[in-house]
Amino acid sequence: MTTAELTHDEVHQGATPSTARFGMIMFLLSEAMLFAALLITYTVLRIGHPGDWPPHGAPDLRVRFPLTMMNYVMIINSFILISSSFTFHWVEVQIKKHGKSGLFPLLVTIALGTVFLCVQGWEWSHLYEEGMWFSKEMYGIYGSCFFVTTGFHGMHVFVGLLLLIWCFLRQVCFGSFTQKHHVALDNVGLYWHFVDGVWLVVYTLFYII
Amino acid sequence: MSTITAETPLTDTHAHGEHHKPNWFFHYFWTYDHKMIGLQYLWTAFAFLFVGGALAMGVRFQLAYPGHVVPVIGRLLPATIAVDGAIIPAGYNALVTMHATVMVFLVVMPLVIGAFGNYLIPLKIGAGDMAFPLLNEVSYWLYVTSGLILMSSFFCPGGAPASGWTAYAPLSAVGAYNHTQMGQSLWCIGIFINGLSSIAGAVNYITTIVNLRCPGMTMFRLPLAVWALFITAILLLLAVPVLSAAGALLFFDLNFGTSFFKPGGEGQPLLWQHLFWFFGHPEVYIMILPAMGLVSEIIPVFSRKPIFGYKAMALALAAIGVLGFMVWGHHMFVSGMSLTMSAAFSVSTMFIAVPSAIKTFNWLGTIWRGSVQFTTAMCFALGFVSMFIIGGLSGIFMASTPVDLFIHHTYFIVAHIHYVLFGGSLFAVLGAVYFWFPKMFGRMLNERLGIFHFIMTFVFFNVTFFPMHNLGLGGMMRRIADPTIYEHLAQLQPLNILCTWGAFGLGLSMIPFFVNIFYSIFYGPKAPNNPWHATTLEWTVPSPPGHGNFAVTPTVYHGPYEYSVPGMTKDYLPQNEPAPEGIHLEAH
Amino acid sequence: MFRSFLRFTLVLATAFLLLATAAHAETHTTNLYWAPQNATVGGEKIDVILNSIFVLTTVVFILTQAFLIYYLVKYRRREGVKAQYSHGNNKLEVVWTLLPTIIFIALVIWSNRTWHELLQSPIPPDALEVQVVAYQFGWDFLYPGADGKLGASDVRLITPDNKFGQDKSDPAGKDDFTSAEFVIPVNKVVHILLRSRDVIHSFYVPQFRLYQDAIPGRTISWVRFQTIRTGNFELACSQLCGAGHYNMKAKIRVVSQEEYDKWFAGKAQAHAAAAAASATESKDQNLVQASEHK
Ligand code: HEA
Ligand code: HEA
Ligand code: CUA
Ligand SMILES: [Cu+2]
Repeated sequence: MTTAELTHDEVHQGATPSTARFGMIMFLLSEAMLFAALLITYTVLRIGHPGDWPPHGAPDLRVRFPLTMMNYVMIINSFILISSSFTFHWVEVQIKKHGKSGLFPLLVTIALGTVFLCVQGWEWSHLYEEGMWFSKEMYGIYGSCFFVTTGFHGMHVFVGLLLLIWCFLRQVCFGSFTQKHHVALDNVGLYWHFVDGVWLVVYTLFYII
Repeated sequence: MSTITAETPLTDTHAHGEHHKPNWFFHYFWTYDHKMIGLQYLWTAFAFLFVGGALAMGVRFQLAYPGHVVPVIGRLLPATIAVDGAIIPAGYNALVTMHATVMVFLVVMPLVIGAFGNYLIPLKIGAGDMAFPLLNEVSYWLYVTSGLILMSSFFCPGGAPASGWTAYAPLSAVGAYNHTQMGQSLWCIGIFINGLSSIAGAVNYITTIVNLRCPGMTMFRLPLAVWALFITAILLLLAVPVLSAAGALLFFDLNFGTSFFKPGGEGQPLLWQHLFWFFGHPEVYIMILPAMGLVSEIIPVFSRKPIFGYKAMALALAAIGVLGFMVWGHHMFVSGMSLTMSAAFSVSTMFIAVPSAIKTFNWLGTIWRGSVQFTTAMCFALGFVSMFIIGGLSGIFMASTPVDLFIHHTYFIVAHIHYVLFGGSLFAVLGAVYFWFPKMFGRMLNERLGIFHFIMTFVFFNVTFFPMHNLGLGGMMRRIADPTIYEHLAQLQPLNILCTWGAFGLGLSMIPFFVNIFYSIFYGPKAPNNPWHATTLEWTVPSPPGHGNFAVTPTVYHGPYEYSVPGMTKDYLPQNEPAPEGIHLEAH
Repeated sequence: MFRSFLRFTLVLATAFLLLATAAHAETHTTNLYWAPQNATVGGEKIDVILNSIFVLTTVVFILTQAFLIYYLVKYRRREGVKAQYSHGNNKLEVVWTLLPTIIFIALVIWSNRTWHELLQSPIPPDALEVQVVAYQFGWDFLYPGADGKLGASDVRLITPDNKFGQDKSDPAGKDDFTSAEFVIPVNKVVHILLRSRDVIHSFYVPQFRLYQDAIPGRTISWVRFQTIRTGNFELACSQLCGAGHYNMKAKIRVVSQEEYDKWFAGKAQAHAAAAAASATESKDQNLVQASEHK
């Protein structure tokens, strides 16, 4: 056996499943540092912020009683994203445990992710109409931090969605994922769960505290 | 050098057989072979070394002869750099900024990590390739892309970024202050893409080292270069995304009117510095750790002696990695950060010098009672040790808070930078090229020319950078386009001229190196598999190794540095050979 | 090959000595490393630490390089002599880990105590307080008038018309006057309030052994120093701040108390005259400009 055969299959791609998984986890560690940097930036700027928080006149995102319509929307939206993690788990159970195609729960996951993104887009436009945006003139760092952080997160959700759709198409066209073969699906799953986890932190920092 | 024939019967055939004959494009430009990717990095980084070096020559010329017309090329320079052939102050700032950016992100990192990391890791751990070959090649092309983007900033309206490689906000964050909005934006993009490349590389290295070691290759049997690259990759993985995030925020500040780093009650200029140095300090260790690893490979071979204190060396690397994340504030002692924090960072900075001390002493211990051969590679490795001591010791001055009050942001720092980065990282890289060239290209380099190159480099390096210590203590600020307009500096001008001529000499001393390389690639004597009688796995395969590296997965029986084992006839014992009957190997 | 190594070391050493003496002949400084002569009390303390670290590092440098060269000569490859087979020595490891650690702990304790003394100890109440404001590319100084007190001010009030961010309602600020040069009475503790109007600049005077960044949007209030000799110095900006950074300097004159009083009286008088003139115009904003034009 040559080392080339040991580490790869003939096409020189696709490390062994455990190696691929390990690599994905390393990558997610790096992603975690990216979000940590953004969230620490937000925390530092917010603590150092003179005057009111949120700035006078800016829409308040936080969950405060009595709940506003926006509060309800974002709470539900968060549940939507979180539940997509569970539906993804359902995909994995279907494929790995029961040897099924898992197409239906995969579709549900994609749908939930899409709904999340759409709602977030709606929230952005809503806030824009209320006068909040990236730039300094529009509620300063309050807006900057919010849009940049949720923007980065939204982009990750978007990439995750593309990956899910790619999995879906592969499953539809080639039936790529079976009880034995599900490396790519596993790694997409790790990524998707990670993105959900980040949302929990973002939500806590921006919408609760 | 005596010729060694194949030690093992497997080394002659290309592991992957002959069915793999890609055309030249897939061979040189889009390849999944870690060795070719390593060479891609090597050549590209050397090309950028010329760019960074040429920028440095511009810097040095201006400092020695401020306002003079740059000879020969002066009138070709873009208007943002020079007017009527003479460098303008804003252009000088751009030169310094781009010099450091190129040297750090496009030369030293790609050399120590991209080139040697890629080439050596799989070979040294007995793997056929990296864990993710495609990602590896993508990482290389991201690096090239970032380089091109950074280069393009010279030609954009406003010219290249000019706020230093540290890009302190708000200068860097407001177009009205820096007058290079586009260049600075391109800098942010370039750094971001370069970061993606680094992260991709780091994921690959860590995964490879953890998962693809051949049977018998335990963590404490890894060659120290692999250990060093492993720790480096972890630092990259955790530090680089922070710079990427900061760079993105800076980009938004520049272009989208956000105010993360702009003052005025809202943004915080110091936040940029914290984010930058949280990356920046691990970054400097990212550049030195692999160099230390490479040197730790070379010194035992040419001392014919096991490395002194293997475990201590490995643990010191790990300690530097951990402590490296706790010292960033020593760049900010006098930045307006809380004075108590400065004092705290001073403590951690002193502690991080300890593992470096351990390494230094262990290198000396390796030579002690060895049998030292002065090959070019060894001379550069010894030059590394010697110069790193100087650079490290100047770090102690700056780590003392009150002394930093005096020497912060002076040429003392510039001297420190170059002693650790040129005298350190680059010396190690040059030594490594002399050492692994036979493996990479199957030809030997000319040793005479090599020694000549070493002597020139060593002398001119010291002539260039040693006087900078004095300039710094004499009160010369960094990043000033014309020192002669200050009274206390005008009298030091002869020193500046000395540095400049030293720098020209240093530039010229690269010529024998490249002559040597290009001559030897084609006409050098053929290299045997193991020209240096070394023990690690890359020397058990042909020079250059075939696709897939090892015809049969090797098995490792002992640590990486078994030289001069008593009772053996040959004075080295490769890692894939068990100790002969009756020979006892000392535990390390 | 080894011969050439030795030869080159010799050449290097002589070249170094020659160059060093040649360059030294052209400079007029007083000490080993050609630092400009110190001019403050704090600088003396810094120089003591600097010198001690210099001695420490010189000793370490000479020892390590000497061992390196000695070993290289002694253990160079010779026919029939085999290297010793040894993987190290744990006792030695412990020694050379602990020894530097102890040295560093001692050094950092000393350093940080001095640091505290220099910047964090209480400021004597009779210190001369001066507001120093940096901008692209120059310096402004605001001195307290006859009452010896700077009026209230805040960075957030800084505008093109109010360059020092003065609180115009504070009577103590009415007699504060501006200056383009930094004049200091010798032997007196000077306490500066450091600000910037645009980007980060830095207050750097090598003879004072003093460096501090000026951050826009903040006031740095811990910098103080006490001069010990008169003379003319240059205040240099040492933080990259844009195209004109290299030339961002101001004059510092450390003068005797009498000379200072004379200068002060002249300045205060001119300020009062200008203030009276602008009061008739009753235009508040001219105040700063008038004293600027003086
Ligand atoms: C490869 C890169 C590299 C390395 C390895 C180091 C290593 C060290 N650096 Fe350096 N540093 C830089 C690259 C590097 N640095 C760069 C690029 C900058 C400037 C950035 C910028 O502003 O642009 C900088 C700036 C910098 C500063 C900020 C200065 C300022 O701006 O005012 C400080 C301050 O503490 C510092 C300290 C140190 C210390 C204590 C070490 C230690 O790790 C050194 C330890 C080594 C030794 C001490 C020598 C060997 C030991 C012995 C022989 C044992 C015995 C010794 C004693 C008992 C004294 N460095
Ligand atoms: C990472 C490694 C690295 C390397 C290798 C170098 C190499 C060199 N550096 Fe660099 N330097 C930095 C990193 C590095 N530098 C950093 C981080 C800074 C701080 C920047 C900042 O303040 O923001 C800095 C700043 C810096 C300054 C201070 C500028 C200032 O503050 O105003 C100076 C001044 O002399 C300088 C000079 C040199 C010289 C002469 C070389 C020489 O060693 C280069 C020698 C050249 C080669 C080896 C290549 C061969 C090239 C040729 C043969 C070209 C020939 C062309 C002609 C002669 C026209 N550097
Ligand atoms: Cu102001 Cu440099
Ligand atoms: Cu550092």
